[in-house]
Amino acid sequence: MKAKHLSIIAKKEFRGLISERTILLAILLQLFIALFSSFLMVGLTSMYDPSSLSKYSRFKYNIAYAGNDSALYGYLEESGDFRVYRMDLSTGVAALEQRKLSAVVYVPDTAPDSADPVKITMYTLTNDLQSAIVDVKLKEIYLKYETDLRAIRADRITEKPVPLAIPKAAGGGDFYEFVYGLLIPLLVFMPAIIASALIIDLITEEYQHDTLETLISTPVTFTEMVWGKVLACEVLVPVQAGVWIVLLMINGIAIQNAGLILVQVSVTSFILILLGALVALHYRERTAAQFIFSTALVVVMLFALALPDNPLNLLTRLAVGTAGMEQWVVLGVTVAIIIGLGILMHTYAEKVGRTHQSG
Amino acid sequence: MGALRDIAIIAKWEVKKTFTMMGRNVLPLAIVLFVLLILVTGFAAQSGMHLQDGMYRVAVDDPELGQLIADDPRFEVYRYPGRILSWEDNLYDLIIIRGQVYYRGTDKSRSALKTVERNYGKYVNNVYNTADDLFAAYPLWIDTQSVKSELDFLATQSGQYVSAAPARGGAPVPEGEIAIIPTPSPELGVTMEEIRAELIQTGGQDTQISRYTEILSSGSSTMGSFRTPAQLSPPLPFDSIILIFVFVFPLYFTSQFFMMSIMNERIERRGEILLSTPVKTSSIIIGKMLPYFIGMVVICGGITAWIGASPIIMLPLIPVIFFFLANALIIGMISRSFKELSFISIFFSTVATSYLFFPSIFANVHVISLVSPLTLIVLTLQGTAWTLTDYLYSTSLFWLTGAVLFAIGAKNFKEERLFSEKSLTSRMREFLSEVISEKRPFLSLFLITGFTIPFIFMVQLMCLVLFFNLPMPYSLILLLMFAALVEEIAKGIGIYTLYVRKPGFFSTRNLLLACGATALGFLIGEKLLLFVTLAQITESVFGSILFLSIGALWLPLLLHFVCVLIVATCLKYGGRGWFVPGLAIAMVVHCLYNLYFILGWLS
Repeated sequence: MKAKHLSIIAKKEFRGLISERTILLAILLQLFIALFSSFLMVGLTSMYDPSSLSKYSRFKYNIAYAGNDSALYGYLEESGDFRVYRMDLSTGVAALEQRKLSAVVYVPDTAPDSADPVKITMYTLTNDLQSAIVDVKLKEIYLKYETDLRAIRADRITEKPVPLAIPKAAGGGDFYEFVYGLLIPLLVFMPAIIASALIIDLITEEYQHDTLETLISTPVTFTEMVWGKVLACEVLVPVQAGVWIVLLMINGIAIQNAGLILVQVSVTSFILILLGALVALHYRERTAAQFIFSTALVVVMLFALALPDNPLNLLTRLAVGTAGMEQWVVLGVTVAIIIGLGILMHTYAEKVGRTHQSG
Repeated sequence: MGALRDIAIIAKWEVKKTFTMMGRNVLPLAIVLFVLLILVTGFAAQSGMHLQDGMYRVAVDDPELGQLIADDPRFEVYRYPGRILSWEDNLYDLIIIRGQVYYRGTDKSRSALKTVERNYGKYVNNVYNTADDLFAAYPLWIDTQSVKSELDFLATQSGQYVSAAPARGGAPVPEGEIAIIPTPSPELGVTMEEIRAELIQTGGQDTQISRYTEILSSGSSTMGSFRTPAQLSPPLPFDSIILIFVFVFPLYFTSQFFMMSIMNERIERRGEILLSTPVKTSSIIIGKMLPYFIGMVVICGGITAWIGASPIIMLPLIPVIFFFLANALIIGMISRSFKELSFISIFFSTVATSYLFFPSIFANVHVISLVSPLTLIVLTLQGTAWTLTDYLYSTSLFWLTGAVLFAIGAKNFKEERLFSEKSLTSRMREFLSEVISEKRPFLSLFLITGFTIPFIFMVQLMCLVLFFNLPMPYSLILLLMFAALVEEIAKGIGIYTLYVRKPGFFSTRNLLLACGATALGFLIGEKLLLFVTLAQITESVFGSILFLSIGALWLPLLLHFVCVLIVATCLKYGGRGWFVPGLAIAMVVHCLYNLYFILGWLS
């Protein structure tokens, strides 16, 4: 294997990518997603944790209170989020349908110390953003009322939990877990998946476009050609992942250990690229290779995620700065897998190469 | 009849080819992988997802509480060293001493606090579940009743939600007749033990995930619609994302095969045999497409049956399938290499997903959500009826664009297009050029511009949906510019294609005629489609920017004519390099025109 030959092949692939302007499409895509990240952020976060929506609204919602008196009415009055109106149930629901109200609460005539539970009926609008916020705010008030009722009925409760006093935090921190625990590892790892799909394209293309003969007639051997392509894909990973990190930082998300994250992503993606190369060498036809590889990818990713201290988890820990010595252990294991896969791929490529030379 | 037989033969051939290619080597490995997938899924379900392990560090003095915190792998628990060493070394996100939690001012610490709060709540519920007197432990139950309300677009002209805030003092009074709502019964109607079983069962599962699974299974719990306050999770406005995963992703996957099949015909001129047969190209394309179309319909039907939903769901899905296949055909025909194919298809799927997903977030809230066929699926799953107009409104653009793309594909499905290697943009230009007739260039221009209308509407509606989230003046300004730019590009490409093919064609007379044909085609196409589908949107402010000028027809015609003329003149005297500047000038003119009318309209 000659380093010069490898770089020749890698350069050729880069030239191809640039002249076809496909790489432009990839960058455009990244920008497209980054541009709407504010929307994605609000959208996806509320999917992940709808209660975070409540901080987006700072005005009072009108709600109707129907039925009998209770401490709940007082709580609703006190709360700065609601303007409460005592209304007839039917009138309230009709007003709700016309969006003149955000919710209607009906309280029955059940005594606080009764043996029966207090069943409150709440009318809200179906599946809508505003009612999601209102529900979150109402939930807080219900919880307060529940604590009261529980205290009244305390002598009837036999099992008591270990007490823990949790202070009320002043806002913030809603997006933290979503951004660092989901968005960053997935976005940063996306280039690894793209690169492994790319290696399949690059290898099967030589077969299906019959350009292999020409390539092998040059001093470059078949094995060198495969490694050159692997190299080209591998170089793309830290570049793209780096772009993501920069884009996230522009959006105001501080990421710690950016360098180490890039190292981890590059090393882990090497496994996927080698797997892709093996599949492509075996099938030599894109449809089959991509089909098998994408199925295998799901299996591998799911398996990795189910393991503690997996590389994706490590990305999260690195980004928040809680990664300890275990990152080097993970790195060691990943490198060991790469060496194993690399030898396997090398031998396989040599075997395939010999058949090409003789045939 | 001949055409039908041809289609059947080609379809059979396609199936056979795919299976012989896939069968020999792929099937055994695919089965192995499938078995592995099931095993791994089982393993993952058992050990859980370890994506967020060890995010937070907590110091605790009480071992019992420490165990409680450590049950969540997100926390690394340390023994509290006896005194607070210093917050500055950033070692701990939370410290728990004598049953009191202390936190820091960072986002991370607050986030850790919230997670502890949630976990502790769950733990408390688990303890209370075992209480003898369940109604002392859970004294309060909330019965949630959903009420449906639909807004008309006019009410939210500003693109904001209606804020229910009437004048202080008076309670809001509903208009019209008031339906009598029966007084709810104060009883739960279930025994304490039934509730306990349900509480223990739901306590075990993560509500974040189970909410999504509930969307698909019309599951009935014994408890009915009432919950404890802690169980109360707000209704999800974003449930349609799950539909994307369930329905749309399999479609992407299958359309990849079709794309690849088209691409394969082009590699090494393999499709030459097919083209040399006396079969019409349209029959070849339909025949090749048919197996994939049936496959996708079967997949969607299977999913529908599996989740037990109404088969009506299939109706909005079919145009989506058709649209995907049409795009797959074009992508397969224009890509030069596999990597180009990969990137273009990834790009297409991202954009198409956004188009399908973003509007459907607003299902039930806003008429705009009907732009996406997914909304109809959301509505069907909810059991809400929709009308034929709704169906036309949300799917007509998919049908139309799909059909236009197919027509272009069929027209270009021949040797000199399939087997040449050119860059993406010049290929697209050639495709268009093929559609412009030599003998009747003006008629062709007229028709081409008319047929770009559905695409323009799609792009513009997408912008509308995206800009909808921005604050009012910006959303209008951006929309104004984008709408103008998109329209100018659409009008310009026909002229551009013709110019590149034959620069000498544009004498002054021909130039004027070409611009006239384009402007007329645009106007007629726009009006036709508007009247069919988009009456609702056209009545709002946004609509007036996109589709201004319902009234007088000569004014918009003049505008379109002038704008195209600017572009064409730039081309004629400046050459190809002046196309983009020409577009920019035309856009400015278009914007000014729109501004004048909107300002006039507003005052």
